[in-house]
Amino acid sequence: MRPNGTTIQLLLVDDEHDYRETIAKRLRVRGFQVAEAANGKEALDALDQEQADVVVMDVKMPVMDGLEALRKIKETFPKIEVILLTGHASPEDGVTGIKSGAFDYLCKPIKLEHLVSKVQQARDKLLWVEEKARQAEFKARMEQQMIATERLASVGVMASGVAHEINNPLAIIQEAAGWMTSLLDKPELADMPRKESFEKALEKILNSVERAKKITHQLLGVVRKTESILKEVSLQEIVGEVISLVEREARNKDVQILGDVQPDGATIWTDPNPLRQVLLNLTTNAIQACYRGARVTILVRQNGHETRLSVKDEGEGIPAENMQRIFEPFFTTKPPDQGTGLGLFVSRNMVEKLGGQLEVESRLGQGSAFSLILPQRTDAPKETCPNDREAS
Amino acid sequence: MIKIPINILIVDDEEDFVEMLCLRLQDQGHNVKGVHDGQACLQALQEDDFDVVILDVKMPGMDGIETLHEIKRSAPIAEVILLTGHGSIETAVDGMKLGAFDYLRKPAAFDELREKLEAARKRKAEQEERIRRAELQGLLRRTGDV
Repeated sequence: MRPNGTTIQLLLVDDEHDYRETIAKRLRVRGFQVAEAANGKEALDALDQEQADVVVMDVKMPVMDGLEALRKIKETFPKIEVILLTGHASPEDGVTGIKSGAFDYLCKPIKLEHLVSKVQQARDKLLWVEEKARQAEFKARMEQQMIATERLASVGVMASGVAHEINNPLAIIQEAAGWMTSLLDKPELADMPRKESFEKALEKILNSVERAKKITHQLLGVVRKTESILKEVSLQEIVGEVISLVEREARNKDVQILGDVQPDGATIWTDPNPLRQVLLNLTTNAIQACYRGARVTILVRQNGHETRLSVKDEGEGIPAENMQRIFEPFFTTKPPDQGTGLGLFVSRNMVEKLGGQLEVESRLGQGSAFSLILPQRTDAPKETCPNDREAS
Repeated sequence: MIKIPINILIVDDEEDFVEMLCLRLQDQGHNVKGVHDGQACLQALQEDDFDVVILDVKMPGMDGIETLHEIKRSAPIAEVILLTGHGSIETAVDGMKLGAFDYLRKPAAFDELREKLEAARKRKAEQEERIRRAELQGLLRRTGDV
């Protein structure tokens, strides 16, 4: 892609050595970069070495004539524009050439001014074609993104609808199983045959309800028709809150959690609840990824227009083939009763709603770093409930 | 620790849920009645004295908040614990601002429910005690003893 203003690269092809040299010299004076070739074959070889923008080529040449070379050039280097130079008695060659893809033709003897102008036109066409291709690609990408977003939105809505509906029968199962459990504890059932079997089965039912509950609650976190609270949030405070929430789990695993917020009093205008939720998700993941005795660091840095919150772990790292997939819903490497596979999906969603991005870096055997990048000020969504009465 | 039986009214359009929760709480020694809509709830409150109402926020017809409104008008001393499904936490918070005691997300952990029931019962009992004392003072004042 050559932007406007850069030198046009020409390839001048003509078997008449002196004629060719003269034209080449005069073109160079005009500021063009000119390479030379004596026939079609030499032209193709030259183009293999160094690509040109425009080829100016004589039609009548030995070894490979202009028309054949034109066809080959258009096959191999379709973007290159070709201008043919025809004998003054055979303009029909020019027409044939155009039908085969040449940009235009000039009859010998040529006026240099005409040639220069044609070359510039050819180059303009090149740039225009490139621009159109870029725009088409951009448009296609945007359309794809829109479809994906719409699909995700409708999946999200459907998911939350399903989750809500499922909560009701879940509640019933829980109450029924819980009631049966307490009945089994009653004195009149003390000698019931196979009591342990029933207790075991009921325990499994209740555990499964817990698991299902986690999934529905997480899914329902994806689509929140709530009003956001926008306020000034102290980053030190929110990191402190997250650390205290995970303290017990970290201690059990003998993992050290460190907060590192700079500058000390840094604040950000955003909705504290989703921010805290995401940090909590990431920190919990980090603790789970760590070996015993390892360290998790929550690093916060702020430059003028951006705040970066990174949760770094010293765990096993994420293999390259999973890096693309970790944000997919239901993708997890944990056993089924420990991971829903929704944490990162939901977190990314939340971060995007805050106007930020969630990124990940990882090295196998060394650990991973998940980074939230937030603008200094989250844009207020339509229904805002600013609530700065509370001290942050 | 002696457990004090609580008079509980459960209001939810899910009949199976009401039935199971009723049985479970009755098993714990409480006096429980279950109804399936707002109107039946108000009717029950007129006929009997309930300490705590467990009220589903999302019901067809007269919804939870409307019912809560009416409960606070006709039986303001009764404590209300709201049960919410998902994103209706905001509704639950609104409800608390309208006077509900607390809320739980469905499906609710039984131990948590028990704790809140006991806390609600206590608050109602303390308020009733204060009312009794105030009434007594009123009586004393009328007979000339202060």
